[in-house]
Amino acid sequence: MNSSQLEVDYRRRLDAVLGPLADALQNQLTDYLRDVPRIDRVVARPKSVDRFLAKAAALNEEGKPKYVEPLNQIQDQVGARVIGLYLSDVDSVSKTIEKYYHPIETRDVVPDSQWKFGYFGKHFILLVPKGLVSTEIDKELVPRFFELQIKTLFQHAWSEANHDLGYKPASAPLGRDDERALAFTSAQAWGADRMFDDLHRSLVHQ
Amino acid sequence: MAIEHIHSFLVHPRKGIAEKRKIGGTTVQTSGKLFGLLSEIYLSSDAQCDIEIAFNQSATGVQANLCRDLIIDYLEGPTLVRGRRLAERLESMTTRRSGLGLLFVIAGTEGRDHKVVVSRFPTDVAILAEEKSEELSVQFLERVFMKNATSYKAAAYQDSSLKAGFWTGRAVDRQINDRVAQISDYWIADFLASGFQVTSAAGTRILAVAIRNAARATTDINIKSEIAAAVTLAKALKGRRSTTIGFENLLNLSEAAKKLINAQISEHLEDQFQFDWKEFSEHLAYRSIELDNGAILTAEAPRFDEVFHRDRARTDGGGIRFTTEGRITGERLGKSKVERLGK
Repeated sequence: MNSSQLEVDYRRRLDAVLGPLADALQNQLTDYLRDVPRIDRVVARPKSVDRFLAKAAALNEEGKPKYVEPLNQIQDQVGARVIGLYLSDVDSVSKTIEKYYHPIETRDVVPDSQWKFGYFGKHFILLVPKGLVSTEIDKELVPRFFELQIKTLFQHAWSEANHDLGYKPASAPLGRDDERALAFTSAQAWGADRMFDDLHRSLVHQ
Repeated sequence: MAIEHIHSFLVHPRKGIAEKRKIGGTTVQTSGKLFGLLSEIYLSSDAQCDIEIAFNQSATGVQANLCRDLIIDYLEGPTLVRGRRLAERLESMTTRRSGLGLLFVIAGTEGRDHKVVVSRFPTDVAILAEEKSEELSVQFLERVFMKNATSYKAAAYQDSSLKAGFWTGRAVDRQINDRVAQISDYWIADFLASGFQVTSAAGTRILAVAIRNAARATTDINIKSEIAAAVTLAKALKGRRSTTIGFENLLNLSEAAKKLINAQISEHLEDQFQFDWKEFSEHLAYRSIELDNGAILTAEAPRFDEVFHRDRARTDGGGIRFTTEGRITGERLGKSKVERLGK
């Protein structure tokens, strides 16, 4: 499929399904997590056309297209995010999510070496539950899955700033010192999460 | 309908046996009486397979499932060799209790979709009676495979994408509510490495919230008390697998009460799920009765009838007298009427 046809197809899906589905998921997640303490926010939104097309055009290590069927294979066309205060809140949110949704993938996303710092977060690929999209909509337009990220406030803050600084289309690529500075802030966020969680646990157990 | 390939295998109970053996299998012709029976199974799979299932992630959370891999492998090249891998998987999960079975793997295409139906006929014994003029010969038959036996199982998958699809499907398992976990888990949990698409908590929550809203919505005191009584009985459903309609029947609800509950649910009525008592009680933890003299009686729903003893009032007029006995452990004042049912 050429990219202009893919854009037409994705735009049609976005307008007809992904927006309403994201709203419905956000409401459902908020309802399911109502009794879980210290949730800062719950959001769900569809992937923009630009980001979808950029991802669809990605190449693998052999230089071939990573996605042969992007509309079927890209699983984060709707992305949801739950932000909690402390690391232990990530666990309690995860337990609630596992109760209500069927996961086909669960990942603790961490840097690939203990000597590195960068992105931290818990990611799920979950089956889109029935009943969130009108039955009148063509089933072929409805994605099978959505992505859910669960993070602490610090993890979220770091990933937002990192995305803003590191992925600006017009700016020059980051230098080694810039990357080291980003890793340093990730390490600080990691440490702050540990400290807050330890304090929270010790105060709860007092 | 476009059945393209059918393969069949005799699957022995060999769970826990390390020694390998080659499973006997055959290609079934796409004509004749057997093909007619299998076509019917293939065609009616959507209606017959009434449980919506989804493959599980791997034990480590990776997006991979061994049974799904075998099904996709078969669909990519439906041969006896590839079908046998499914039979080998089933054999390695089959205990003596599940017994000998005849496995059919039926593949076809439906428009742009690939479709596969995996069906297991359990073994049985039978007597063959043949009448010849005035004589009757009877013969004992072993290894008869019966579709209508109480342990028939099947699963059906249909999807357009072999790369990203085939994560969800439908199944039938007539032994899904067997009290022996080994039996009830054999087909969906063990062989298909799948779970219900609607999780226990999600399905139970929909049911509980619908019951709660139905009780709130009606002004009919008989339906209110019928629903409240059903909530008290619900603990007995712990672990059972059924649909909302099935659970309503198990709770002996009247048509009026069912109608009221169903109106709160819409399209989830046929969803199969396993009843989760803990989840249910989180949404319907307390039962309250309000009397016309201003009294409100509240107790945990499952224990309400134990805690409050109900008699006819001594005075005329159809009144009810409640009695209870215990030690006071708390006392509250509030600014509004406390409605615990549904909190």
